[in-house]
Amino acid sequence: MDYREVLRNKHRIVVKIGTSSLSYPNGRMNFHSISKLAYVLSAIRRRGVQVVLVTSGAIGVGAGRLGLTERPSELAKKQALAAVGQADLIKIYQKFFEEYNQMVAQVLLTKDVVSIPSRNLNAKRTLHKLLEMDIIPIINENDTIATNEIEFGDNDTLSAIVASLTEADLLIMLSDIDGLYSADPRTEIRAEIIHSVLEITPELENLATGAGSSFSTGGMITKISAAKICLKDGIDCIITSGSDPGILFDVLAGKEVGTHFVAQKRKTVKHA
Amino acid sequence: MGKETIVIRVEISAMLGLNGKISRRKMDRLAMVITNLHNSGKQVLVVTSGAIILGAEKLKLHNLPDSQLDMQATAAVGQAELIRLYQRSFDEYNQIVAQVLLTSDIIDYPQRVENTRNTFNTLLDMSIIPIINENDPVSTTDIEFDDNYPLALIVAKIARADFIVIKMEMNGKYLIVPGSSVSSIVVDGETELQEKLESICQVMIPGEDQEAIHFPPSIGEILF
Repeated sequence: MDYREVLRNKHRIVVKIGTSSLSYPNGRMNFHSISKLAYVLSAIRRRGVQVVLVTSGAIGVGAGRLGLTERPSELAKKQALAAVGQADLIKIYQKFFEEYNQMVAQVLLTKDVVSIPSRNLNAKRTLHKLLEMDIIPIINENDTIATNEIEFGDNDTLSAIVASLTEADLLIMLSDIDGLYSADPRTEIRAEIIHSVLEITPELENLATGAGSSFSTGGMITKISAAKICLKDGIDCIITSGSDPGILFDVLAGKEVGTHFVAQKRKTVKHA
Repeated sequence: MGKETIVIRVEISAMLGLNGKISRRKMDRLAMVITNLHNSGKQVLVVTSGAIILGAEKLKLHNLPDSQLDMQATAAVGQAELIRLYQRSFDEYNQIVAQVLLTSDIIDYPQRVENTRNTFNTLLDMSIIPIINENDPVSTTDIEFDDNYPLALIVAKIARADFIVIKMEMNGKYLIVPGSSVSSIVVDGETELQEKLESICQVMIPGEDQEAIHFPPSIGEILF
């Protein structure tokens, strides 16, 4: 059965991009990637698909701006860098999206958007309104005020929550690895990419968390738990490589790239 | 005693030019004055409004939005523009700024207050000026257009500010009220307060008319 067929007919997608896809290994911004991402998302929007972008990178950009060579470990310092960097990051996105005449908005969320009903409703309504206005909301965690108690912790979880909030029908997580593998691809030559996942079994979770597989620290654990949130809400979910944002076209064409977590009770979004 | 901490409230209406749009010249002047205050050794935090008006401009709306929801969506577009405008203006004076978005219910959560205070302190230690606004898109309180006064008070409280500049017009008029930690000065004697205010104003616009200082009608009412 071709599970990918459904991906050709999505109406509201959330794309999550990580720091590693937005910057070079030395921590500096990769404008080429960001520019390409802006182009691809604007093109997808132009086709009538509503797009939400969840982005990381504020702390890294802040560190670059201040000429720091290492990311700080202290919480207050990280939050300060995020406050500097988020302003720069949104500016860069604006600049590139403007080249494609695509309007963007900045929405910063804290985790209580899930637990406080009035906050939830407000965020939901604002996001829907923005989508209705043909705007691409660019979402990040509001790092500056986040404490452990209200921290999403990682943008994978944030992106799944955003997918639920916006009632999206697809979440695409762009990562530094091109999908979930049957074993650690760096050490096992027989490791194969798993293209379709119908159910997140304990065995599968072990693949991501399994002892001795250092690739699990590359964020696969949080990606699997994000995928779980999506499946629970009937939202299809893709994990694939973010090294070339053009891959988003392939995903939406139903090509077999990355790992597809196949939603069972599928959510349907009415065409806007 | 540490450095004096001052919260400056910027009403975007004071930054508009004759055409009703934000005046680059006024923003430039504001950035200069604030950077100068910072350079003189004060710790400065800026509380600003303007996300909605800039959003409306960006979206080419003829009228400002009037429903809560439209305002929130417009603010999400405009905040990005607003911080960009501040960045550009402060860049001229080699001053780095940071964006901090708060919701006013923050005061109900002591841990968040503590955290935000740490962030403020870290930014100020790094010689960065925080530009603070309400996080409108997720705010659950009504957006009262152009009135960021309550937020300025909250920020002053979080930052344990010595002073809040609550009204600042680019023709050199200031209205300054003491913040949370100096209320006793008002009681003990107005001379000391007067001196403090004057020293601040001297830095802001050297040599300009000190009569420009206006005491608020009732300082006590505004204190926490």
